[in-house]
Amino acid sequence: MSSPSVVQIDPTGGRPPRTTTWAGFALPGVGWLIAFFVVPVYAVMAVAFGSVDPILRTPQPAWNPLAWDFSAMSSLLDRVFGGDLGKVFIRTFSFVFLALAGCIAIGYPVAYFVARKASRSRSMLLALLVLPFWISYLMRMLAWTNLLQQDGYVNQVLQWFQVMDEPRNWLDGDWPTVVIGLVYGYVPFFILPLYSALERIDGRLIEAGRDLGASSFQTFVRITLPLSVPGLMAASVITILPMFGDYYTNSYLTSGSPRTEMVGNQIEFFLRGSSQPQTGASLVLVLMVFLFVLMVYYLRTTMKAQRESER
Amino acid sequence: MRTSRRQFLARSAQLGVLLGAGIPLLNACGGDSGGSGEQSTEPIADGLQPEKGPLRIINYADYVNPDVIADFEAKYGVKVEISTIDTDTEAVAKLASGALKVDVHHSMASTSIGNLIKGGLIQPLNRSYLTNRGNVVKAFDDPWYDPGAVYSVPYTFFGTGIGYRADRIDPAEIEAQGWDTLWNATTFKGQVSILDDEREAFTMAMLRKGITDINTLDQAIIDQALADVIELIDLVNVKVNIEGYKDIPEGTTTIAHTWSADLIAGAASYLPEGTSSDVLGFWHPPSEQYVVNNDSMGVLANAENPVLAHLYIDFLLDNAVAEKNFSWVGYLPALTKLDADYVIGAGYVPENLRSCVPTNDDIAKGLKYEALGPEGDAQYEAAWSKFTAGG
Repeated sequence: MSSPSVVQIDPTGGRPPRTTTWAGFALPGVGWLIAFFVVPVYAVMAVAFGSVDPILRTPQPAWNPLAWDFSAMSSLLDRVFGGDLGKVFIRTFSFVFLALAGCIAIGYPVAYFVARKASRSRSMLLALLVLPFWISYLMRMLAWTNLLQQDGYVNQVLQWFQVMDEPRNWLDGDWPTVVIGLVYGYVPFFILPLYSALERIDGRLIEAGRDLGASSFQTFVRITLPLSVPGLMAASVITILPMFGDYYTNSYLTSGSPRTEMVGNQIEFFLRGSSQPQTGASLVLVLMVFLFVLMVYYLRTTMKAQRESER
Repeated sequence: MRTSRRQFLARSAQLGVLLGAGIPLLNACGGDSGGSGEQSTEPIADGLQPEKGPLRIINYADYVNPDVIADFEAKYGVKVEISTIDTDTEAVAKLASGALKVDVHHSMASTSIGNLIKGGLIQPLNRSYLTNRGNVVKAFDDPWYDPGAVYSVPYTFFGTGIGYRADRIDPAEIEAQGWDTLWNATTFKGQVSILDDEREAFTMAMLRKGITDINTLDQAIIDQALADVIELIDLVNVKVNIEGYKDIPEGTTTIAHTWSADLIAGAASYLPEGTSSDVLGFWHPPSEQYVVNNDSMGVLANAENPVLAHLYIDFLLDNAVAEKNFSWVGYLPALTKLDADYVIGAGYVPENLRSCVPTNDDIAKGLKYEALGPEGDAQYEAAWSKFTAGG
């Protein structure tokens, strides 16, 4: 019996693909970037380097760069580098990186289990992971304020297990409460991209490691963990970027204690509660620069990991 | 309608800012001017028929009784739409940007009214529509923030003092210590709060030191007030919020720098079941050092329903309506009939919270916040930012 003939179809019709056609596919993305990134950033700059209406104290954006006034930014930088706002930045970075550590400690095992160990129950576990998204973030934080009250369930459980003798005032402005709140709020954002990366790891590599005599732990450390680094980095970036601008977690869980003030709280004050919106907008730009540095590090690391994986 | 290139650019920027940087920045960029206009000097004519609405109001959340709104809607056959704000600054920004079309500003701060008038955002009231204006406490006939009460009508009034749990701290101790109570409350660490408002907080610190010029622009005095308030961070682990109305009754806060009305509202709505209002107490300094403040209602200069807006304000000045509103809101209307004896006798305010109702003497002699001007605002806000940053 002769084998059936295979018809090869050339989608280009024999002609080389037109570069402009392919470039056209980038247009929606470029448009999106311009509309939702470039223009907003420029608007923030126009407010930061603009002025304020002398009567109503509303911002008067300076759309013409030649008219930009850098005095608010200059005063702000003095406060950030060596002034009181420097402490707020250090505090924010500390909270965010502690919360990231918490997300890794909780999220990695969960993502690993769902991706590599759960088989039939995977779909259900994934559904459970996204379950928190069904409830508003603010509502979840409000729920925590009840759970963390002195007579709340958290204290009751801890006392029942004799972890504490006296109920703790979790909401009196201590940093652990804010960090716990950030971990709770953002850990689902961490798990999902990490799960995706772990799930894509070629199982044959792990089997090869085991066949060559590596223990489960060695296989994890020498194969799974290195291959999950890009996913880990992506999950970290997705998690920490919104954490840096977060202000409501702190507001809800500490009733506005100055000891836990984050950069987002200062931005909120200047933009919503003061007559100095240009200072708030300047703070947004300063934070963006810090985040840009982090993004560059992330891009360099992922590119390096990609190069190594292609060797 | 054709859109000019300038309009297109401005609106594109607004859209981008809204989605990328948040509503506050949109407010910053809204409208062609986004700033002050010419002062409105002409009230609406007499005898006009009310518009068909809907009447649009800007107000804080839960700051007017929904039943009162429903009554107004039923009486005039119109719909009422309320846009909520969190701060007075936010309200001014939204109104100035033109982002919101509003007929009535329900709760103008006394420090903003002068600017709203000068900036052309509110219009003079035509008193021929305000048949209940005579019910208002006489002290507000010529208020410091709006000479002659041309543009505004008081909505609620209140004083600033210390709200506390009388079952945990002896009222006599508070009476003896005055404002020092907050600095001495080391045994209640984590259960002490001050108002999230730079003027209120620094005024409290100034009054503690005997300084009664609460509108001072003297940087040395502001810096001293800042230093004093910063002390509270380590001394009592102070919280900064405007939630005394629930935190004191619920017991999470023992001592709070707060508004008198918060205790009235707290006693009515936030005490745990079975807890007597006797656990609540309120202290304020003598009349000469008592800061009495009020929120006011006004009609926007560009109101689409100015007659209806006048009728709404007049509706809230009716004694029965105001009483119904007070029973839900907890903030006292500035009406002669609803004095301390009346609201206590009617059971709205417990006798032990009589001090929460400012007297005519308090209003007449009390200290008043005045607008500080751009530089003054910046001084206080910069100091406040340093405090909230942790000192």
